[in-house]
Amino acid sequence: MSIDSNYVHPEVLVTTEWVEDHLKDSDLRIIESNEDVLLYDMGHLPGAVHIDWQRDLQDHTVRDYIQPEAFAALCSRNGITPETTCVFYGDKSNWWSCYALWVFRLFGHEKVKVMDGGRDKWIKEGRPLTREVPKYPATQYPVPPKRRDSEIRAFFDDALAQSKAKQPLIDVRSPGEFKGLVTHMPEYPQEGVLRGGHIPGAHSIPWKEAVNPDATFKSALELKKIYQTDLGLKPEDEIIAYCRIGERSSHTWFVLTYLLGFDNVRNYDGSWTEWGNRVGAPIEKSL
Amino acid sequence: MSYPSKLSAIIELFSGLPDAEKRETLIAYADQAKSQEPREGEAFDLEDIRKDEECTDTVAIYLRLDESGGSHFRVTLGPQVQTLTRAMSSILCKGLDGVSPSEILEIPADFVPKIVGAELVRLRSQTVYYLLTRIKGVAKVWLQRQRGASLENDR
Repeated sequence: MSIDSNYVHPEVLVTTEWVEDHLKDSDLRIIESNEDVLLYDMGHLPGAVHIDWQRDLQDHTVRDYIQPEAFAALCSRNGITPETTCVFYGDKSNWWSCYALWVFRLFGHEKVKVMDGGRDKWIKEGRPLTREVPKYPATQYPVPPKRRDSEIRAFFDDALAQSKAKQPLIDVRSPGEFKGLVTHMPEYPQEGVLRGGHIPGAHSIPWKEAVNPDATFKSALELKKIYQTDLGLKPEDEIIAYCRIGERSSHTWFVLTYLLGFDNVRNYDGSWTEWGNRVGAPIEKSL
Repeated sequence: MSYPSKLSAIIELFSGLPDAEKRETLIAYADQAKSQEPREGEAFDLEDIRKDEECTDTVAIYLRLDESGGSHFRVTLGPQVQTLTRAMSSILCKGLDGVSPSEILEIPADFVPKIVGAELVRLRSQTVYYLLTRIKGVAKVWLQRQRGASLENDR
């Protein structure tokens, strides 16, 4: 299977076959990012490093991402320079790899790719895994001047303004969560949200709509039908996507930004765990 | 309440380990999860096979009671079940081996963070408690059936 050349940025997706052929490229760093906290330790792509969405990307005292200095240190200890092409992959249909990629873009790292189909596809195809943890010489990654929060990240106030202005808000959670029937993902425990429902005016397009059963992304034509023809989004629209904590919406952010080429998509990482609990935040339910 | 002796030994083993070694030991237990599956020809007193809202894949629990009333568990796990849950299945099958269903119901869940460590008990890894809940559920159902059967016999 090759990558659909009709994506607006087909260069950001690579096949498992391509990755296997480039495992030893010195200008490439393969990065695994998972929900399952021990999955990397159970076996990973040869040469892949592990970037953990909580340990490595989040501030441990403030609900926020790490600061530019910590990002530079993270890249340095993983042998990444600004010229390194980072190829992300992981479990859960690449939720967390898209999340990690989005955080790398928050700090302006330009060269990023996702391995289509993620970890499960690699394993199903019988490609090699190892438990050997690679060591790369530390680099001097320059501290990014700032985090690009205003460009690709939305906060509560941004989502509220978007809702009031009736601008596109995409709720990528499951239909039951959107309707307010449940306050957690199917197959997941409750994660501490007081209210069920969605941000007023949000459209429900579950993240899963964008992928095939093997976790690869749907074709450009199929994605255009979902987001443009059926939902009516236009590439110039200012869009905010959200879920529960920002990981599934990173996946949709990736689809809209890179595969469909929308210029103004932001991920609201506070998502439902913030909105659903926030005093004074309006919600809608639909049955 | 004190823990059953085999479980207690496992808790003690983990309690003395630094986080990195805890992690390695958990992986070793996760690797052994397959060996806790039912073996050919084994018969069970109770089987609970289901996928529910607390876990990402099917988990099957099999219970056999020996002549002295001790429980012996077997567990099969679907491929999407998290690694920590796999590790806990091995730990619980070994740690609860021979313990009676009524004793199992009394075991507090506070040993889980002692085994797993604070670093790994976090958002999206809470299924680490799931296996204990399911095993207790099986023990409870078995006890209820036993009580129902003895009431029936008394009539």
